[in-house]
Amino acid sequence: MSATAAQRFLQDAAVKSADLVHRGIILHGLESYDAAHLRGRARFKDWEAARQKCQEIKQEAINHLDRYLLQFEEKVTSRGGHVFWAANAEEACKYVVDLASRCGVRTVVKSKSMVTEEIYLSPALEKAGIKVWETDLGEFIVQLRNEPPYHIVTPAMHLNRRQISELFREKIGADIEGDDPSRLVTAARLWLRRAFFAAEMGISGANFLVADSGVIAISTNEGNGRLCTSVPRIHVAVTGIEKVIPRLEDLAVLWPVLATSGTGQPITTYSTLIGGPRRPGEPDGPEEFHVVLVDNGRSQLLADAEQREVLHCIRCGACLNICPVYRHIGGHTYGTTYPGPIGSVLTPHLSGIREFQHLSYASSLCGACTSVCPVKINLHHHLLYNRRNATTEGGTKFTERIGFRAWRYTMLHPRIYAFAGWLGRAALRVLYGVGLAGSILDPMRMWNRRRSPVPLPSESFRARWRKGLAAK
Amino acid sequence: MQQSENPSRDRILARIRAGLHTPAAESADTTSSGGAIFEPIRNPLDRFQQECVANLTECVLTADTTASALQLAKILQSLPEGEVFVQDDPSLRWLIDVVPSSRPIRWSSQGAPAETSQATVTLVEALIAQTGSILVTASCGGRGASVVAPCHIVFSTIAQLVPDLQTALRNAFREGKLARNSFACVISGSSRTADIEKILVQGAHGPRRLVIILQTGT
Amino acid sequence: MPRRVSLFVPCFVDQLLPEVAVDTVKVLRRVGCEVEFPEDQTCCGQPAFNTGYWNDARPCAENFLRVFQNAEVVVCPSGSCPTMVRMFYPELLSSSPLRADAIALGQRTYELSEFLVKVAGVTDVGASFPHTVTYHASCHGLRELQLRDEPVQLLRNVKGLKLMEMARFDECCGFGGTFATKFESISIAMGTSKAENVTATGAEFLTAIDSSCLLHIQGILGRSGAPARTIHLASILAQDEP
Repeated sequence: MSATAAQRFLQDAAVKSADLVHRGIILHGLESYDAAHLRGRARFKDWEAARQKCQEIKQEAINHLDRYLLQFEEKVTSRGGHVFWAANAEEACKYVVDLASRCGVRTVVKSKSMVTEEIYLSPALEKAGIKVWETDLGEFIVQLRNEPPYHIVTPAMHLNRRQISELFREKIGADIEGDDPSRLVTAARLWLRRAFFAAEMGISGANFLVADSGVIAISTNEGNGRLCTSVPRIHVAVTGIEKVIPRLEDLAVLWPVLATSGTGQPITTYSTLIGGPRRPGEPDGPEEFHVVLVDNGRSQLLADAEQREVLHCIRCGACLNICPVYRHIGGHTYGTTYPGPIGSVLTPHLSGIREFQHLSYASSLCGACTSVCPVKINLHHHLLYNRRNATTEGGTKFTERIGFRAWRYTMLHPRIYAFAGWLGRAALRVLYGVGLAGSILDPMRMWNRRRSPVPLPSESFRARWRKGLAAK
Repeated sequence: MQQSENPSRDRILARIRAGLHTPAAESADTTSSGGAIFEPIRNPLDRFQQECVANLTECVLTADTTASALQLAKILQSLPEGEVFVQDDPSLRWLIDVVPSSRPIRWSSQGAPAETSQATVTLVEALIAQTGSILVTASCGGRGASVVAPCHIVFSTIAQLVPDLQTALRNAFREGKLARNSFACVISGSSRTADIEKILVQGAHGPRRLVIILQTGT
Repeated sequence: MPRRVSLFVPCFVDQLLPEVAVDTVKVLRRVGCEVEFPEDQTCCGQPAFNTGYWNDARPCAENFLRVFQNAEVVVCPSGSCPTMVRMFYPELLSSSPLRADAIALGQRTYELSEFLVKVAGVTDVGASFPHTVTYHASCHGLRELQLRDEPVQLLRNVKGLKLMEMARFDECCGFGGTFATKFESISIAMGTSKAENVTATGAEFLTAIDSSCLLHIQGILGRSGAPARTIHLASILAQDEP
């Protein structure tokens, strides 16, 4: 029987957490982010007020989701765009594949969209004989390596220039002397330019759907998103239903906050707004504009009033960047579309709690994620809610359930607790006395294997208190 | 889209409405100071120029249209041979006429810029001091005009400078810019990427150079 | 007039590190508090709560409320246990008739340094500890109780103590309760990074407000043969002039 997601996770985590080369690369990348992020926050007069405002915007949007989605749809369709509501991944993929087939599309250029990874859109297109080029440099790199993105904002963070240079030599025949990053970028630019100008369809995501203006907002730095949405004849934007915001003006705070949290920039280079196909009189632009609104479990999460705020996420990546677990195991270990704290919180809701509950447990609950989330999602508390739901719905281990029953009984009876503590310490002292610490017989083996053993005093505090501390 | 073509539409809407029947838990922390999020900008022109430096945008101040034409000539001279794409607007027609150049010119009224264009020249809708940005729409020569060529040159006047994103977006909404244009973009510098070892490389898929000619007089 | 303090001792401190609680009593008495220890206390319920077994945690929480119902103020040499009481009891007991009591108790339950600085108004407890010391900011105290630098304020006033700053002092050490064994490899990796940062300061001692962090980091320091030793904040503050 093949390993479960939890077993694979533990295996990969063991390998990655011991990989010091990997850790060095990640730490280097994240340290530069840390510095940039702090500088970015200092540009705000009141960063906390900005977070508060962003939370309020998303709270309003999500709690009136139907109203704002309908407003958005009405405006888009009135200007010649198409809006398709997809209940799940299959429906979304079918719509795009059918559209591409109908229009004789042979090549697609794609800019970054986590939702398209979530619904496995590229494999569906490739299966229909359509070639898909990822054009975001990081995504292009991992596509050539045939692996998933490592991080939602910086997909190739785990690779160094040597590796990328070798990859380019092998896959696109580019010979870059000295592995110079700017020449690597030029090589990618030249290769992908051919794709931009040959492709019949461009696929993008959307960072925000602006209800009062009927536009999608896309934040990028490279310009690939611009080319995908300007040159090919058809533009398809694939987005989760939760991306909607009420007003154009909301972007005045959301754009800087997204950029600061994602990369430390004041704003991304290209903050693009697209509301439809080219209008009569415009020199260029796609003839067709389609927005695919993907549900895929989001409406179910919406119905959970306790966890609805998880839908506020603007996919900035800040929680990944600060998470010490992420820093030590990296993005691929999670084995999910969305890694890091948001991924651990969200995945059970999108993909099932039984299979993915382990991610909610793979956290020390340090709360760093919550402290940086720009829309103030209480991320680590949601891990606790997921854990609670796992015990009632997901079927946690029987031995664990029984164990906590026994624990509860003990803790409700102080004398039994005191006796159990004394007995446990005494037994372990004997066991360790004969040298069996860390062995298979040691109940504390999972601690003692790689840490020096816990102390085993002969007297507990309460014993000492009773013996004479009280009197003083 | 017809109901029969998109049966999930109504189902999703129904699920959303049903889900929202239960109000969300009140967020515990409602400490909204209501205060300013960004420092007020006292000197927009200074701020705009500072941000351009940080963005690696070239910002050149000119006193009048003659000086602007001179700047354009200088920039065009610095570029390799090849076609230049220009937004078809009377002020730009005048500028191109005045500049001595044997370069082939393609006007936006002829269609999209060629892939091999060496530069594009456009107007802007606004300049934004807060982030050193330009706001362009499809009316500024189309979509490709600000991304296809390695060099994007824009002409602007000091009257177009607004202090911050909020003002620019409010104005754009009020003036119906997004109702009339299928595309708009706030551009803050040249195209760049840090996807390789977090090292910043300028000039990814979009222009490597963004040049803003800001005319302060007439 | 002496302040009456009810001591709340984390269950694993009671069983494995009693000297931390003994030192806590010493410090509280030295600043003029009358200390009592309700002997019926066992556990605040956090292990069950954190693992998702809220139905097992709830009776423990209710028991805790009963044990401390007459306490004027509750002090605990740990950040995570007061966090459980103050931040999570209201939620755990949201449908219980004891909810109001829980909220009230949470507002008078303090971590030791929090109590000393914010309630007793004391930053110098008359301690002496002539050694180099570095400080690790345990997560619950930092991010749930919103402690700023109360522990550091106290450390700065200890005679002879030289405080060394540590890189990433506020990054989680990797203990995390059952996380330490359920996800051993990640926990060890995080603890190793922390231990490396400790060693890089050259300090003789590492201190923190949570013994769980210290136990975990000491476990890794010990295995690697690194010289630094861990000591709880209470134990430093309890050190007299020789």
